[in-house]
Amino acid sequence: MRGPARGTGQVVDGIEEPLSPEEARRVIRRTVRLLAPYRIMVITAVVLLVVQTATLLAGPALLRYAIDSGIRRDDVGAIDRAGLAFLVVVVVGFATSRAVIRTVARIGESFLRDLRERVFRHLTGLSLDFFDREKAGVIVSRMTSDIDALQELVQQGLVMFVVNALLFVGAIVVLMAMSPLLALVTFAAVPPVVLVSRWFRRESNSAYLTLRDRIGATLSSLQEGLSGVRVVQAFAQEDAQEEQFRSANREQFEAHLRTISLQSRFFPAIEFAGVAASVIVLVAGGYMVKSDAVTVGTVAAFVLYLNNLFEPINQLSQLFSTIQSAGAALHKLYALLDERPTVGERPGAYDLPATGGLGVDSVTFAYRSEEAAPGDASGNGDATARSEPVLSNVSVAVAHGERVALVGPTGAGKSTLAKLMARFYDPDEGAVCFGDTDLRDATLGSLRERIVVVPQEGFLFNGTVRDNLLVGRPDATSDDIAEALDRLGLTDRFAAFPDGLDTEVRERGSRLSAGERQLVSLARAALADPAVLVLDEATSNLDPGTELAVERALIELMRGRTVVVIAHRLSTAARADRVVVVDDGRVVEEGTHAELLAKGDHYAALYASWASGREASVDGLAGEHE
Amino acid sequence: MGEALTPYRRLVLLGSLFAVTWTAAKVAVPSLIRVVVDRGVVPGDTDALVRWSAILVVVGLSQAVSTGLRRYLAFKVSLQIEADLRGRLFAHLQRLHFAFHDRTQTGELMSRANTDLQQIQFFLVFIPITLANLLTVVSVAVVLLLTDVRLALLALAALPFLNIAATWFSRRLHPVVMALQERLAGVASVVEESVAGIRVVKGFGSEGLQQRRLEEAAGRVYTESMAAARLRGAFLPFLDLLPMLGLVAILWYGSREVVAGHLTVGELVQFNAYVLLLIWPLRMVGMLVAQTARSAASAARVAEVLDTEPAIADPTRPVALPKHDADDAHPAVGAGALAFEGVEFHYGPGRPVLRGFDLAIRPGEAVALVGPTGCGKTTVARLIPRFYDVTQGRVLLDGVDVRDVRLGDLRRNVGLVFEETFLFSSSVAANIAFADPDAPMESIRRAATLAGADEFIRALPRGYDTVLGERGFSLSGGQRQRLAIARAILADPRVLILDDATSSVDPTKEHEIRDAMAEVMAGRTTIVIAHRPATIALADRVVLLDGGRIIAEGTHDELLATSERYRAVLAQALAADQARAPEAEVPS
Repeated sequence: MRGPARGTGQVVDGIEEPLSPEEARRVIRRTVRLLAPYRIMVITAVVLLVVQTATLLAGPALLRYAIDSGIRRDDVGAIDRAGLAFLVVVVVGFATSRAVIRTVARIGESFLRDLRERVFRHLTGLSLDFFDREKAGVIVSRMTSDIDALQELVQQGLVMFVVNALLFVGAIVVLMAMSPLLALVTFAAVPPVVLVSRWFRRESNSAYLTLRDRIGATLSSLQEGLSGVRVVQAFAQEDAQEEQFRSANREQFEAHLRTISLQSRFFPAIEFAGVAASVIVLVAGGYMVKSDAVTVGTVAAFVLYLNNLFEPINQLSQLFSTIQSAGAALHKLYALLDERPTVGERPGAYDLPATGGLGVDSVTFAYRSEEAAPGDASGNGDATARSEPVLSNVSVAVAHGERVALVGPTGAGKSTLAKLMARFYDPDEGAVCFGDTDLRDATLGSLRERIVVVPQEGFLFNGTVRDNLLVGRPDATSDDIAEALDRLGLTDRFAAFPDGLDTEVRERGSRLSAGERQLVSLARAALADPAVLVLDEATSNLDPGTELAVERALIELMRGRTVVVIAHRLSTAARADRVVVVDDGRVVEEGTHAELLAKGDHYAALYASWASGREASVDGLAGEHE
Repeated sequence: MGEALTPYRRLVLLGSLFAVTWTAAKVAVPSLIRVVVDRGVVPGDTDALVRWSAILVVVGLSQAVSTGLRRYLAFKVSLQIEADLRGRLFAHLQRLHFAFHDRTQTGELMSRANTDLQQIQFFLVFIPITLANLLTVVSVAVVLLLTDVRLALLALAALPFLNIAATWFSRRLHPVVMALQERLAGVASVVEESVAGIRVVKGFGSEGLQQRRLEEAAGRVYTESMAAARLRGAFLPFLDLLPMLGLVAILWYGSREVVAGHLTVGELVQFNAYVLLLIWPLRMVGMLVAQTARSAASAARVAEVLDTEPAIADPTRPVALPKHDADDAHPAVGAGALAFEGVEFHYGPGRPVLRGFDLAIRPGEAVALVGPTGCGKTTVARLIPRFYDVTQGRVLLDGVDVRDVRLGDLRRNVGLVFEETFLFSSSVAANIAFADPDAPMESIRRAATLAGADEFIRALPRGYDTVLGERGFSLSGGQRQRLAIARAILADPRVLILDDATSSVDPTKEHEIRDAMAEVMAGRTTIVIAHRPATIALADRVVLLDGGRIIAEGTHDELLATSERYRAVLAQALAADQARAPEAEVPS
């Protein structure tokens, strides 16, 4: 029994479906491979652990020696030898235990640091289809709760687990060596204990799963009661809410009590097994002493060793769930590391030319279907099915320095087309080229330098405004930044932030307004200074003051660049050099705004409905004005 | 906390009883083993061997039984108290005034109701265990001292340090663990934003930059973890060393004592067993010290909430609102007359929202409040059901100061539809019948129909039984607002307040519910906060607010004709409305 702090909380999160033996073996093999750089430290740790275990097992053996060779023969010298030996053993044990803790921590923490870095590098290297397919929360939990589960093991369980396992085996070996007969009799107590432990593990696993669900239910009831408190009070429904919460609370209590009731049966059973085993040793040992089969010292040592036999079983069965969830966490992490990026750099890739037009040539593209989960170890990219094509045989040529607007109804494929132009995905058929170079033959570095995507919402990272600008070009100097801001006419605006460029934007830029975030995002693109700009026009409305600044900065940003803009407002399309109308995955019309209007087909229809929508909402006021 | 324990006095007593029997049995076991060794094993007396062994089995059994019961009872009481406190906390929070919820974050309150209560529970569980442990320590010390004073002193000398070291260790470790948690959160936030912003990261090819940030964060975790490991490396072996020194003393000095005939072999083994028995109780004392500090802090945080008195509460001598006959076609006197008299209000000192606000609304009248953002129109609405109390002046409902009416009565008579719709994760029907959970299905349908919601509700997968908030299922903003309106209609209040309640309803659909709204408003005092001319036109009178005062009054047409400010406010609102209208392309 290890104190009540273990009874709740941590354990609840650690329950996982156990791995199959085959999976477990794979996880172990791979972990061993990953530990290769720390081979020497691992060997040191193993040696130290064996020494430490030996010191823990030495006590009763020395007591036996003291009794049988010293006390029984009145030999004080033997007692002194045993005493001195024990003192040495204790001190050695102290020193090794220190070294063990540090060595294991260094190996474990280094391993985790490597794992964090490796998984993250792999993650950011994966292609966007992975991020489309997987929920962000699940991806993040790989790097947080899964690795944290391992951290807990490294910090609290690993040394204990190994020492206890070694102690258990060591105790069996020592007992067999001292007296095989008495040992075999003693071991009769072990199978029931193992069976009870297995029962406990099974039952408590399911009890904890229930508890976890109930805690979740209480928390969501609590959350809802708090978020909706104003509505509750507005309708004077406090009593009803309280009643609802009480039942969730009650169920959590009962589920929790069930886990305690299991423990309250298991722990006493183990305690009793210890006493029962002592009785077995004493009775059997007593008879054997009488028939001179064993010595009194041996019986005494056996009684003391029982502690080393039963305590490990107890400890190991408590640690088992930690080990199990660590195994499951590693399994999931390795599956993530096996995920292959679909958009990668070819061997022999070369840099894109400095300038050039953008050509989309007979491109067909479909998103991967969602069935293939990356958590599945076999879920390699090739196995996944593709769904209906989003783009079919699309060709668009954007000349160097030209501004093209992509227009079309929701779901027509215009965003997808823009993403292919920046090689967020590779086409299934056809090719996207910059100048004469197929994007798939280009180095990713040069590609990201030439072609930059500015997403709808200005996404900011935690850090200062400057940090966020540097995302565009990490090696930019202060002068570069100043120049970029100047070009967009934003120097004064940015200087007006509380700490200028060193203003902390807080999480997701929450300290700035939506418009200011958009401005930072544009400045970032200006700093990157790409040849091609792919803009996803913002749809949300900004505060009037910033709207104007955004508009101006955009115009400056587009100057002298090849621009592809996904236009949501047809007023933007009207200003472009050319309009490409996408519908149902195909290019249905191309031309200038005026040409297409005159043609009176798709674009004209889109424009008419857009314009009437605008008028409809103005109508109300205008009508009343008369 | 003492007060929370009172209802469970009997269980606590019973638990303590089992703690005592457990201790007694546990302490008896090594002594019995000694007796078995000295009277059975050493002299080879098989009768004594079997007899004493049988007694040992019985004692072992009672030890097991009391372990189980003690543990069960201790947890039962502590979990029960945790649940009680959580229930009380929830009930209390449900009744705390708006201003409290305005300034307190939900997450903050959640952590009090969760983590903090858990900390208190841990502490409560410690109580009986600590009691048993103290008893164990004392009785073991007594038994050992009675057996051999000098050996007992030698064996036990180091043990008090165990307690001291354990206490120190727990105290030192806690801040390191907390810091480590923070570092881990640092890693999590880099990962979270990199995943959320993956399109930006990839768009600029800035994977390397993010990788560096992650490596820095991971490095900090490593450093802090190693600091924790060093602390563990320094103290844990020390904690193990102290009792081992006791064992060395027993082996060395004790064996000599046996040879000298002052001690039996059984007593020697018994000494050994006793020292092993003391290790955990003494270590636990250290844990308890650390836990006490943590639990006390948690208890203070919980008490802080429980001690916050609701600023808005029932009056000591409540006055009933004048009755009115609901079936009467012509609303009688006392059917929703509202009056604001010299009302001043601020959310915090120095931030006045309403200044000398006077407004009288006749029973059954519909008034539209119009004004720019921050003019105080929402505040006016919220003073009526006493979500906030006026700083000065008074608000009268049917001639009664709202502060003199029981809160439940007042709020049942004032229905409010918030701008931000909050729906509960229960069925559509339950959401509409929120004010009256026993309402018959016909009333629910009627309310939904009036709010223009019946049609889309029927089209939902399970109609009125569709549970909201389940995965992959959501309503549009306009649909949600219509449910909120249905909810207010079902409550059938004498005063209905619509706070920008149709702002998310598609302008082309709004006319569908406008007729229904007119019907609901007929004969019912209604306050509409709106900016769409068509909605404003539903009102008998328009009140234009700016800077916490009324600056113009009249019908919509009158104001359009006479007030420049009115036209400006409407035009601005319309522009914002329009910008919201174009639909964003759903990311494929």
